[in-house]
Amino acid sequence: MQATAIGTVTVTIVLLGAFLYARAVLVHFGADVLNQIEISAYLQDGTSPARTEAMRAALARDPRVLSVQYVPKKEGLQQLRRRLKGEIDTSILTENPLPNMFRVRVRTPELVPAVAAEIRKMPGVQYVNYGQDVVGKLLQLVAVARRVGIAVIALFILVAGIIISNTIRLTVFARRREIAIMQLVGATNAYIRMPFICEGLLDGLLGASLAVAALEVGRASLVPRLVAALPFVASNVVNVNLGSLVPQLLLVGAAVGLIASWISVGRFLRT
Amino acid sequence: MISLRGVSLVYPNGVRALDGIDLEIGKGDFVFLVGHSGTGKSTLLRLLYREMAPTTGEITVDGIRVECLRRSRVPILRRHIGVVFQDFKLLTDKTVWENVAFALQVTGAHTRDVIRQVPRVLDLVGLSHKSRMYPGELSGGEQQRAAIARALVNNPKILLCDEPTGNLDPSNTTEIMELLLRINLKGTTIVVATHNQAVVDRMRRRVVRLDNGRIVTDEERGYYFLGLGQSQILSG
Ligand SMILES: Nc1ncnc2c1ncn2[C@@H]1O[C@H](COP(=O)(O)OP(=O)(O)OP(=O)(O)O)[C@@H](O)[C@H]1O
Ligand SMILES: [Mg+2]
Repeated sequence: MQATAIGTVTVTIVLLGAFLYARAVLVHFGADVLNQIEISAYLQDGTSPARTEAMRAALARDPRVLSVQYVPKKEGLQQLRRRLKGEIDTSILTENPLPNMFRVRVRTPELVPAVAAEIRKMPGVQYVNYGQDVVGKLLQLVAVARRVGIAVIALFILVAGIIISNTIRLTVFARRREIAIMQLVGATNAYIRMPFICEGLLDGLLGASLAVAALEVGRASLVPRLVAALPFVASNVVNVNLGSLVPQLLLVGAAVGLIASWISVGRFLRT
Repeated sequence: MISLRGVSLVYPNGVRALDGIDLEIGKGDFVFLVGHSGTGKSTLLRLLYREMAPTTGEITVDGIRVECLRRSRVPILRRHIGVVFQDFKLLTDKTVWENVAFALQVTGAHTRDVIRQVPRVLDLVGLSHKSRMYPGELSGGEQQRAAIARALVNNPKILLCDEPTGNLDPSNTTEIMELLLRINLKGTTIVVATHNQAVVDRMRRRVVRLDNGRIVTDEERGYYFLGLGQSQILSG
């Protein structure tokens, strides 16, 4: 009976933990990509140096902006040459096709679209590029992952709670004679409740501990293989460990056990 | 010590088990509750230890207004009342000592008090020599004495007994009634619901007779059967 409750918590927390871990990896991975985003603002040919300097100063003053870098067309070409070296014969470039530009980095990825739109409206800016499609989709994905996460977590916890409370109710029922006598001789409900609450708490904690152990074993053996098999997955995913998830999962297990047993004993004592 | 005023109880299924009960029981009294099966004796006792609340009326037990007692205060009332049943209600996996100690421990008593009180009540009921035995190893009379010890270990002022001798042979019955009498002589108020004519007629105590949820007679030194009591009163 108790094994069922513990097993259920274990399974639930493993699912929950795996889900949260996958989410953490996704967010980590997404954040990695997003944090490297910079806005490229290309200037119209013939924008005056004064105008360019005013723009740079305005951007540098903006609290959302982390850094502004002015890249004159000459430097841009050198960078391009360096990047394409060995792949394309750059000597065919006789004329510099690049405009002057700003590279702007902002504090958080969520700010990118708004800041980019504002830069686009500045006089002298020809066009702005920050990988609109990719960033928009990634931002959406992260937001959805967060929201779905909360719903899924709530569902998992509810299921575990129901199963624990059923188990505790069976235990309570098996000991109803003892409880009736306790009530008869004047034990308080708090006193009667205590052992069941402790049992629920323990079941929850034990289940969560087993789950954490299982998750760690799974993570340690699966993730490196996954990274090896899928070369496009950034290798720093391996460095995402269970870390702060461990206390969270233990807490969830304990809380579920505590609340579920509290409710199921309470219901029995009231009748 | 116990007072009921206009007490009625209707069970959820519509059975009116008690109907306008008025009853006063003084400190140190010994009272028999008699009447046909199903007339409400057990129901009346249940109201006293607040297993349920009356549908109407007022109940006072040892100064506590029982019917308006909050749920959280019920344990306090129970510690003032010992209850004994026909089927003993002992825990079979605990020894006599443990059964009695259990009643003290669950009220949060100190070990010191447990060690002092348990031998006292076991001695009172004459079970000191069997304190290490389990209920299954005891006779019916001994089990009931263990149950009485448990009921008394909290030093209640009131002892309620619902057919305490219902499962016992005559000699065990006599022993238990003598024990109750001794407890009563120490000042404990005792109410006994019973069908045992011999016991009631021998002891000549106050007899409250119920019929169909009402008190029909209440005699200071009564008999089990109404006719017998009246003929004696008439002839004497
Ligand atoms: N839990 C209950 N629910 C519904 N009706 C009940 C319940 N307990 C008792 N009754 C009814 O209430 C009436 C009084 O019952 P009670 O047990 O008080 O009688 P009693 O005098 O103790 O009888 P007995 O001498 O057989 O023990 C009976 O008609 C019984 O059927
Ligand atoms: Mg009865």
